[in-house]
Amino acid sequence: MAAEARSPLMTHLVAFFPSRELSLAAARGMIDGGARYLEVQFPFSDPSADGPLIQTACSSALEAGFTVARGFELVGEISALAGVPVFIMSYANLVVRRGVESFVERAKAAGAAGLIVPDLMPGSDERLYEIGARSAIEIVPVVAPDVSEERLALVRSMRPAYLYAALRAGITGRYTALGSENHRFLDRLRPLGARILAGFGVSSPEQVAEIRSEVHASVVGSALVRIILDAAAPGGAERLDPERLRRRMGERVRALSGPG
Amino acid sequence: MKIYNDFFGEFGGRYVPEVLRPPLDALEAAFLAAMGDPAFLAELESIRRDYIGRPTPLLFASNATREIGGAQIYVKLEGLANTGAHKINNAAGQGLLAKRMGKRRVIAETGAGQHGVASAAMCAKLGLDCTVYMGEVDIRRQRPNVFWMELYGAKVVPVTGGSRTLKDAVNEAMRDWAGSFADTHYLLGSALGPSPFPDMVREFQSVIGRETQAQARERGLDVAALVACVGGGSNAIGFFAPFIESSEPRLIGVEAGGRGAGRGNNAARMSGEGALGVVQGYKSLFLMDEDGQLLPTHSVSAGLDYPGIGPQLASLGRTGRVEFTSVGDLEAIEALRFFAREEGIVFALESAHAGAHALRLARELPKERAIVVNMSGRGDKDLFIAARALDPDAWARFLGEEAASYGR
Repeated sequence: MAAEARSPLMTHLVAFFPSRELSLAAARGMIDGGARYLEVQFPFSDPSADGPLIQTACSSALEAGFTVARGFELVGEISALAGVPVFIMSYANLVVRRGVESFVERAKAAGAAGLIVPDLMPGSDERLYEIGARSAIEIVPVVAPDVSEERLALVRSMRPAYLYAALRAGITGRYTALGSENHRFLDRLRPLGARILAGFGVSSPEQVAEIRSEVHASVVGSALVRIILDAAAPGGAERLDPERLRRRMGERVRALSGPG
Repeated sequence: MKIYNDFFGEFGGRYVPEVLRPPLDALEAAFLAAMGDPAFLAELESIRRDYIGRPTPLLFASNATREIGGAQIYVKLEGLANTGAHKINNAAGQGLLAKRMGKRRVIAETGAGQHGVASAAMCAKLGLDCTVYMGEVDIRRQRPNVFWMELYGAKVVPVTGGSRTLKDAVNEAMRDWAGSFADTHYLLGSALGPSPFPDMVREFQSVIGRETQAQARERGLDVAALVACVGGGSNAIGFFAPFIESSEPRLIGVEAGGRGAGRGNNAARMSGEGALGVVQGYKSLFLMDEDGQLLPTHSVSAGLDYPGIGPQLASLGRTGRVEFTSVGDLEAIEALRFFAREEGIVFALESAHAGAHALRLARELPKERAIVVNMSGRGDKDLFIAARALDPDAWARFLGEEAASYGR
């Protein structure tokens, strides 16, 4: 399926949640369901921008044996599946600890299309943008509604191909009631000329439909992590059954893009 | 030293998601304006005098000095500040700043509970709403402080994620602030986090060092060294601040040696295995694994088990201006007992780490020289831990009887 034929969705999963095998099954399901991009979060011990659901997923993924090296292997495997671009999302410390250069090179070698590191923003990025440009891997800035014009100009000067728009303040997971201020925010971003990925609290087909014409893709995270969490819970129907999880994820992602 | 530095050598900075940049920019501007406003400084000064009870005394520990037989030991009795620790110095400064910025609500993290108590008390005094995040493990360890915070009208929210200690309370406060900054000030209690916090906390705590400097001069002391415990580092950086740019006296930071060497047994970042990282909005040294995941730590004191260290202290450690060492759980408890017996003062467990090192150092230095140790907090809050360590049988009997009396 060509990228244009896929749904305007970036779907998010936490690598190794609840296990390597099941996170891979979830990724397959997302691809089956027509997602245009996958966002694979590398779990960090202290995810201070994430809500309770993704915090739980991250600590569980670390217990399940996630390491950065294994994360890159998993990304390599997912990238090779169907040509759906994979973006790695993580926190600054995992990138800085390994060394920005080494992290970027390894991500590129694994076939990742880009990196999303919300706490390494332009101006405080430890040369991530410069190194990313040199390695031809997309570095995706994350901006929020109160961003100043001055900061937007700095973001623009990085000439990002993609721009992640956090639709509201706060942390991941809580539902975002979309209103006129969200549209005004997206209007402010359009002149940057980047492909806009919009997320934070997007979980329903109605939300995806509402911003469809204004964004390149909607990012759905916590809502899909919940499906995996339920499946992984003791007594969960899909427990230890990757095929069922893949099917269920595929149905859910398909439903998100709505009829047509 | 400048009031606002942002970076200290390679450490510090403002590594935050974009959502937190506008409130931090606003805080930086408000802080700098307040520090140049005589009315703000006068109000802070009157709170220091009438509410906190400053200046705090500098005690000559004459019995301890005689007992050790080396350098003179002086104790800056910061624990006599209202609410029991140095934390109130910063809570007062930031509380006034929050009011000035028109915020109606304050959030704070706390480990040992001293910063939570100070924030809760200051908010009561200033008429601000207060929410304190505290790890479940720390709530258990420092229960008396939870009671006082609630008495002051604060809401204490248990943090159940991660290691359920101070670093997790910081994470939770940052999560709150990312969605609440419009009407809420984050009253960070340690000299860490994204700028301007490390600079701001140092400025509000530097009153400890300025007083010590004046008191030592008044008595004509030949001060060889200042000794302070270092968790995040707020009491140490405030105590050291006026001396950082000169070469004298020696400045010594004491970290938690816990149960000894080995991962998870201590919180020694500078004197142990801290590595360069970017966590909770700033660049510094952290205890972490090869991938950058933060490691579990241990200390008998809830205020010293944070896996990172304030950026300015990390930098001063790198340049050698501040020396770092560590003191273990047992040696700290022994120092607690020693100072109680010899001097009639009870150190907080955190500060007892510094007290223990002062005793070591006094043995090595001549009698005409002086060492000043900062008793950053007093030990009332540690009643349960100290009693369990020093007199377990009698204490267990008492607790049993006390619990039974509730059932009657």
